[in-house]
Amino acid sequence: MTPQSPQAPAQKMEIGRRGFLATAAGGLSLGFFMPPANRVMQAASPIYEQLNAYVRVGTDGSIALAFGGAEMGQGAMSGLAQILAEELMVDWSQISVQQALVDPVVSYITGGSSAVSNGYAPLRLAGATVRELLIAAAMVLQRDSKRANYSAASAVVTYTNPTTHAIATWTYGSLAVLAASQPVPANIPLTDPSKFRLIGQPVQRVDIPSKTDGSAIYGIDVRIPGMVFASVVHCPTIGGTLASTPVKPPGAIAVVPCTASDSRGVVAAGSVNAVAVVATDTWTARNLVKGLSLKWNLPPSSANIDSAQILALAQQLVTTGTPIVAEPNNPTPPAAVIEAQVASAMAGAKKTVDATYTLPYLAHSTMEVMNCSVNITFTNGTASSCEVWAPSQAAAWVAGTASAITGVNPNLVTVHTTFLGGGLGRKIEQDYISQAVQVAMAVKKPVKLTWFREEDIAHDQYRPFALVHATGGLDASGNIVAWFYRNVSPSILLQRGWINPGDLDSSGPDGAVGLGYALGTHVVEWVPLPAGIPVGFWRSVGNSINAFVVESMIDELALAAGIDPFTFRYNALTDPRARAVLTAADALSSWRHSLPKGHAWGVAISQSFGTWVCEVMDVSQLAKGSLQVNRVACVVDCGMAINPDSVQAQMQGGIAHGLNAALWGQMTFTAGKANQSNFSNYRVMRIGEMPQITVQLVTSSGTPSGIGEPAVPPCAPALANAYAKLTGTRVRSLPFFPGAVMGGL
Amino acid sequence: MQLTLNVNGQNHSVTVSDGSMPLLWVLRDLIGLTGTKYGCGIEVCGACTVIIDGQREHSCVFDVTSAVGKKIITIEGLSANRSHPVQQAWIAHQVPQCGYCQPGMIMACAAAMMAGHHGPEILPEVQHICVCGTYQRIRDAVSNL
Ligand code: FES
Ligand code: FES
Repeated sequence: MTPQSPQAPAQKMEIGRRGFLATAAGGLSLGFFMPPANRVMQAASPIYEQLNAYVRVGTDGSIALAFGGAEMGQGAMSGLAQILAEELMVDWSQISVQQALVDPVVSYITGGSSAVSNGYAPLRLAGATVRELLIAAAMVLQRDSKRANYSAASAVVTYTNPTTHAIATWTYGSLAVLAASQPVPANIPLTDPSKFRLIGQPVQRVDIPSKTDGSAIYGIDVRIPGMVFASVVHCPTIGGTLASTPVKPPGAIAVVPCTASDSRGVVAAGSVNAVAVVATDTWTARNLVKGLSLKWNLPPSSANIDSAQILALAQQLVTTGTPIVAEPNNPTPPAAVIEAQVASAMAGAKKTVDATYTLPYLAHSTMEVMNCSVNITFTNGTASSCEVWAPSQAAAWVAGTASAITGVNPNLVTVHTTFLGGGLGRKIEQDYISQAVQVAMAVKKPVKLTWFREEDIAHDQYRPFALVHATGGLDASGNIVAWFYRNVSPSILLQRGWINPGDLDSSGPDGAVGLGYALGTHVVEWVPLPAGIPVGFWRSVGNSINAFVVESMIDELALAAGIDPFTFRYNALTDPRARAVLTAADALSSWRHSLPKGHAWGVAISQSFGTWVCEVMDVSQLAKGSLQVNRVACVVDCGMAINPDSVQAQMQGGIAHGLNAALWGQMTFTAGKANQSNFSNYRVMRIGEMPQITVQLVTSSGTPSGIGEPAVPPCAPALANAYAKLTGTRVRSLPFFPGAVMGGL
Repeated sequence: MQLTLNVNGQNHSVTVSDGSMPLLWVLRDLIGLTGTKYGCGIEVCGACTVIIDGQREHSCVFDVTSAVGKKIITIEGLSANRSHPVQQAWIAHQVPQCGYCQPGMIMACAAAMMAGHHGPEILPEVQHICVCGTYQRIRDAVSNL
């Protein structure tokens, strides 16, 4: 995959609302729609029900899937090709994947672990449609329209004469042009899942070879002839704006003040919150921009960006704030009414557990920092077209961002999605894209803008902080009879204007509602915390917060009831998929019955993005202030696995990510400034700290659900539950080891 | 100043404004070899690892002037056709996720093998950061090198 992606087909032939279009440029090309991300992101997308993926069969025999989504390590590109190849009746070695250019009228957002689950049905239909079109072309050549006489395999259509058994064959390439002019058949037969050849197989991922020899092109690797390089610094105090434009230092090509693309907390859209320097290379640009003496105006609200103040405000709001009821929700009772019911059920409980949990802001720290490359064409001094290369999870929004700045019609903005060196939710944002376009407008040269790690961590849109007060009540036999849950956290959706004040931000209580547990009389509430720190989507979003609290509480209740944590969960879980996953995890973690001295185990289970994951951890403590996770038994039910090896990889990676956050992850702020700036003070694990993870798949349905995020939520509570058993201390405030630092190599 | 660097067996003449410019940015921005990655710039992550005269080095803190007259190998020059045993093991074990950290991982393993290390002995040489958490597969891939 190179930045020079194939052109979108020129001829278009509409075949239906969500439908397909076939064109005959160099073969057969069929476009179709794959739903982007989740409902929230769809609603926020200007246009979303358009063609955004293409199947191409070339006269040269090439077979390709072009999609506009993001490959950020989750294996989406490969998984989607696998689904297509299945129905298209081609071998795994015969299909390639191209990154589609993002047509400005096409929207694709990659998030919510959605790529493969949303693509499953449309891709099967698209593959089967192309197959049938190719067979229809063979019928024309053979002058026999009896479908039963044809079969397709390995990119060849075979005709068998029913009487003589004589055989005729055509390669897909030879049929491609004729197939493009065939009417789309009304009833497209889909392959019987019991006959799947590729779906469910651990095929080798298409993107991996290029990731072993340096040829994979990430955003940061894009090269444009004649390009210059930019580096950026933001006002260190979040919300500050530039007081005066600095003079251009010697050696710089330009100094460009940059405005914020979107309002996020105390950062106002359009305010000049950063300065870029353009030079002949990134390092020179970096040195020059760091050397500028910059004066910033600081709004008084920036001073409230302070971890201690935010915690104090949350502690106050948890009792005095106005809660919004998230559950029950059908219908939603007034808070006071349901709270009174819960209080009376709680009063009747035999035992209660009452606890307050806190979780910190988290940075994404994707391995590839924010960056974007832009080439604007000027006609008579006015921008006339614009090309953007970006490691973006939201290429569809990129065209709008570039159009707004350049004045170029969105149809004349070309967006190339590169490989992403990690996305984790950070790369749906437009801040870095907007800056690169602003710089390219100012210098009138192709430019690549790169954030250094210090900017990346100190100017993120963070996983929100949260404070949760929870109370659970048990009856005499250890059943949960009452459950009170109040989450106080900043609103991601409110900050971006996607909901109105007073509305429920579903990402706040995500992972605390729709639980598979019987909770008796219960209420789940959310109180928005007004805090000026920019917040955003972080791998598994609200689930990363609420699963920690819910699954820690469940363990605390099990302990109070004197019941084994597995048994307690099994009794309280009503969801049959959850019970099956728990049962499998019980067997997979049989080692926990014979742990060496100084070890302890903990379990947690949660559902997110339609996928159940149960993790059992074996932990031991080497010394005070450290913790070794020795092994993890992980059972996952993601409906069906397209590629079991990719599911395993996502479980392994999600557990590592979840452990990083639980053990060390924490952004703190003092007087408006972030205190962390690089991996040295935003610690992640190294190889020796990685547990040995065993993954087992449980299949429950015929459709795939998310795999990129669901391993993260149960991680922190499994660790806390094991730690409580090991030390007798219950960790209710993450991370385990605040202020952790990381030494050099 | 004008310098000549030998990268992957080829001489490259580059003009740098300052001799303390890290090799990383010379490779990436001036020569156009972008396989070597920037991750932290402070010698913590290992994404920028290259091999210089047979030694593993972190190019983000390696002055370009110190690289003159030495043999520099980057991920692009490790092998033709991904035939190096580390690359083959990486494909066989399907190690990369996002892949961004992997050039550094692979170069560090290759350097360790050049130094005569095999199997799990290689692991202390790859204490790099992988945010995607591919560590278990790296352990597996390295085990029979
Ligand atoms: S970029 Fe050199 S060690 Fe991180
Ligand atoms: S594979 Fe993504 S950071 Fe290592």
